Order: sequence, then C-alpha cells, then structure tokens
Amino acid sequence: MQAFLAILRYDLGLLTRSWITRIWVPLLIAPALFLVAVAANEDELASETLAAYLAAVLIPISGLAVAVLASAAVSGESGIIADGILSRSVTRSEYMAAKIVSRLGFTAVIYLLVMIPFSYLIIRYAAPDTSLAGVVVGLLVVCLLLTFLGALGITFSTLFSNVLLAVLGLLLVVVLSGFVLQFLGLTWMSTTAVVYALPDTFRGHTPVWDLVRVFLVFSALTAAAIATSFWVFRERDL
Amino acid sequence: MHVVQTTDLTKIYDNRYIALNALDLRVEKGTVFGLVGPNGAGKSTTFRILLGLQKPTAGQVQVLGEPMTAERADIRRRIGYLPTNPSFPRYMTPIGFLEFVGSVIGLSQDRAKVQLARLLQAVDLTNAASQKIEGFSTGMMTRLGIAAALMNDPELLILDEPTSGLDPAGRKQTIELIRELTGRDRTIIIATHILSDVERVCSDVGIISQGRMIYAGPMADMRRLARQGTISVEIEGNTTAFEQQIHTLDEIGSVRYERLGAEFRLTFLGTQALTEYITRVLQLIDRTGVELLHINTGADEIEEAFLRRLEEDRTRGFLRAAAWAATQEISGAKEESDAGIPGHPAV
Repeated sequence: MQAFLAILRYDLGLLTRSWITRIWVPLLIAPALFLVAVAANEDELASETLAAYLAAVLIPISGLAVAVLASAAVSGESGIIADGILSRSVTRSEYMAAKIVSRLGFTAVIYLLVMIPFSYLIIRYAAPDTSLAGVVVGLLVVCLLLTFLGALGITFSTLFSNVLLAVLGLLLVVVLSGFVLQFLGLTWMSTTAVVYALPDTFRGHTPVWDLVRVFLVFSALTAAAIATSFWVFRERDL
Repeated sequence: MHVVQTTDLTKIYDNRYIALNALDLRVEKGTVFGLVGPNGAGKSTTFRILLGLQKPTAGQVQVLGEPMTAERADIRRRIGYLPTNPSFPRYMTPIGFLEFVGSVIGLSQDRAKVQLARLLQAVDLTNAASQKIEGFSTGMMTRLGIAAALMNDPELLILDEPTSGLDPAGRKQTIELIRELTGRDRTIIIATHILSDVERVCSDVGIISQGRMIYAGPMADMRRLARQGTISVEIEGNTTAFEQQIHTLDEIGSVRYERLGAEFRLTFLGTQALTEYITRVLQLIDRTGVELLHINTGADEIEEAFLRRLEEDRTRGFLRAAAWAATQEISGAKEESDAGIPGHPAV
C-alpha cells in the first residue's frame, strides 16, 4: 500500500507539472466563460448551451489531452520504470493500480472542476430548461466516456514502448470503432450518438433504459480495458 | 548458502535471439562476485531476471532462497540494484528521488531523511543535492544510483557495469566506493567487461559468454589458472638455437610456443609448479648462450585467463553440445528405468 501511495503521489506530481495540463485547463475555461456570457445575454437554452460546449469544446480538447496523458502513462517512462521503480520493492499490480487511479482520477477531477461551476453558471444565467437529475446524469455520462478513453489509452501505453505509437494506435481505434459500430448496427454505442442525445439527457427526457445501457456498456468496456492493461503489463519484459 | 542460484536459466527473445543459454549461476553469501563477459553476453538479462523484471523462458531462479517473480516485492526489498547508465526522473532532485525510493520501500519520512543524507555524503553528492537530475553527468548518475540502491541497506547488491562511461577518476572513486561496501554479510554481484575492476574488488568470478557460464570460481583460482605455465622471455643473441631447443622442455610437460620477434611466449600444459618451468627455461637460456632481456610470468594475467577461457569455449562448442546431449540421454534413460516403463525394467 505504501508503494502504491508513493507512486500515486509521484504520478500526480508528473501530471500537474505536465505542459499538456497547463494548456488543457485554460483551453477549457476560456470558452466556458465566454459561453456563460453569451447564454446570459442571448437567453440561450441551458441544455443546448451545455451540450454545445461539451460537443464542441470539452470532448475534443479533453479527448486529445486524455489520449496523450493516458497513452504516456507507462510508455512515457519506459526507462525509469525498470531502473527507478520496479527494481525496488514494488509489484507490477501496485504500479499499474497507482497509474490507473492517478491518470483516470486526474481526468475526472479536471473534468468535474471545470464542469460543475460551468453547469451551475449556465443553469443560473441561461434560459432554464434542465432538470437537476438530467444534468447530473449527462455530466456523468460524459465523464464515463472520458474515463473509458483514458483506460483504453493506458492499455495502449502498456502495449507500446513509444508514446507516439500508443497515441496513434488509440486514435486509430477510436476512429475505426465508429465505422465498425455503424457496420454492426450498434450506433447507439458510439460517442457521437451519446453526445447527440445530451440536450435531451440534460432536460431529463432520455429514456432510463438508454442511460442504463450506456452506463453498463461503457463501464464494462472501461473495466475490460483496465483488466487488459494489468494483464499485458504483468506479462511484459522490462 | 547460495544467495543467488540459477539452474538452466534460459531466455529467448521473440523466438529469435538467445540471450541466456542454460545458465547456471551460484553466488555464495558474503562474496563479491564479478560477472565478466563481453558486451551482449547476457549479464544485464541475467540481472533483470534475478530482479523479476523479465521472465525466464525456461529454468529456475532463486534469490535469497526463494523463487523470484515479478510480484515478489518482498524479495526485492532486500536487494539493491544499480542499472547500467541508469535513468531516473529528470525533474527530481537527488533528495526528492531518494525520498521517493524511501517511500516506495516503506521507510518512514524521518528514517528516509537520515538515510539519504548519509548516503548523499557517502557518494559525494551533498553539494549537488539541490540540482535537478537532468543536469547530472554519467558519474553523478552512477553515484546517485548507488545511493538509491543502498537506501534499503540491502543484503544483496547488484551492480550492472558500475564503471561504464566514467572517466579514470570517476572509475577509481566508484571502485573505492564498492570496496567500502563489502563485508557485513552483504553479497555483491558486479557485472563488467573491465577486468581490472573485477581484479580489484571481487573475491569470486564468473565468465559468461553467449549466455552461458563458462567458468566460475574464486578469484585466486582464476589468477592461478592465468599464471599456470605461461612464461614470456625476451632474448638476444642466437635466438635460432634457442628456438630449435625448445622441444627439449617437453620432458617436464608438453610445451607450446609462439614467437613475436625477440619474444618467446612458452605455454606449458603440464601440472608442475611454475617455479619448475621457470628454472628449466632459465637453464635453456644458459645452455644456448642467449642473453635474457626480460622475463614475465603474469602480466595481464586476468585478461589472459579470460581470453583463454573464451577461446576454449568457442573451439569446444560442438564437443560441449555432444556432451550435453549425452547427459540428457543418460538422465532420460535413468528416469525411464526409475519409472519402470514396460520394456525398460528398473535395475
């Protein structure tokens, strides 16, 4: 447990120092403030404004940031892992668990730190058409999507020892998955479909079963990605 | 007690490259063991398997009396490891890094601080304690690596090429540091291809070539082996007469020689004492009337022994393979007979 906490602290230190974090957070905050001002003056619908911000700003920018940060989790320090960390009294499970908690937790915290105040301001100043439960569920759905992307990124970082390859592999899978899901007739599973339904979700109009289905599927996929990361990393030679 | 014991340790990468080939390594407690071999011989792979960083393809590994795997953090807690040209988090300072190592191995904050201050002083990095690691030279990285390896006061210390990339002063300093670490029941394994380093600090030596241990034993035996029967003489005068009479030395053991200008290198394959060979060579010099300019019985002795072992191993490759196959056949037949397989009744 002590090793887990030490690596967690070390990795959070890496993330807060990262230049990606330094760019990522301002890029989310600046458009959010602008949208609050516009929504207040133009009397925009809160649900549409929230959904537009998520679709046009947060998901693309955060998606890219999470893809890079998660894909660099293991591959970004391939030399240091063996020399500085795993040759000491640390198990691979402890190392992997700390990395996953740190990278996914960091993503979730940044997302919620931006979205909770932003959602409050939008609900407060834009034309109110949302339900509290709808907003909470909508925000959690997007959080789950980002978490899944992060988990998949970590899986790729255990597969490749080069960060660039890991990022490219992840982006390729994300792009190809859209085509595959369309081919299989499972478009409801795609990120696009979930984002498209967000205004309704914020208003509390999305059927419960649809939401449960999205939560179940993406939770299962996240769990599968995490399990794969553990397995791949345990089998890998360092 | 063997602190490290490997049996038939084999590592094959991607079914393409054989890094370790049935390696048998035994390291006794309290010894300073030098693992010597050319680049690519399998030294670093051996260490990575000993630490559980890599999985063996076949064979057994026991470290501190227990089988080693990736999840055996409890065994690694008792080991210190210095990798070749180590890479550590570049943004950290030595204090930050050693604190991190201390927290990973479960030292309390206070204990870690005391330990890191003591070690930074021992490795002469106190003045660089506030610098970021990214500005460190190779020598400073090695010294920091040694400090990190000693944070847990290990029973077993594994040093992979500790003098690699260091200038003569840095090398001397590192060797002195390693010397200071010997004793107190601590076992040290040093991999290197610099033979003079081994000669200076090791009590035991193993020669690894193409992933196999071709010699292992006390350093004193290695020296004896090197000295055994090789005498170089540089002479002046009627060297032809001397050369023609070398065969007369055969009576005290088969002799081979090679001539390099005025220097004759005589190798005796017998079992007599070295002094006996020297006496006979001096008698021959006297008899043939040549003038002795220089006589040498042990210069570069370790290097000589090392190269001789490598050469013998290469020339005996097929004989060795045949002997191994025969051993396998015998043990296979024995197992069959022990099991009482029909048609192969137990004796």
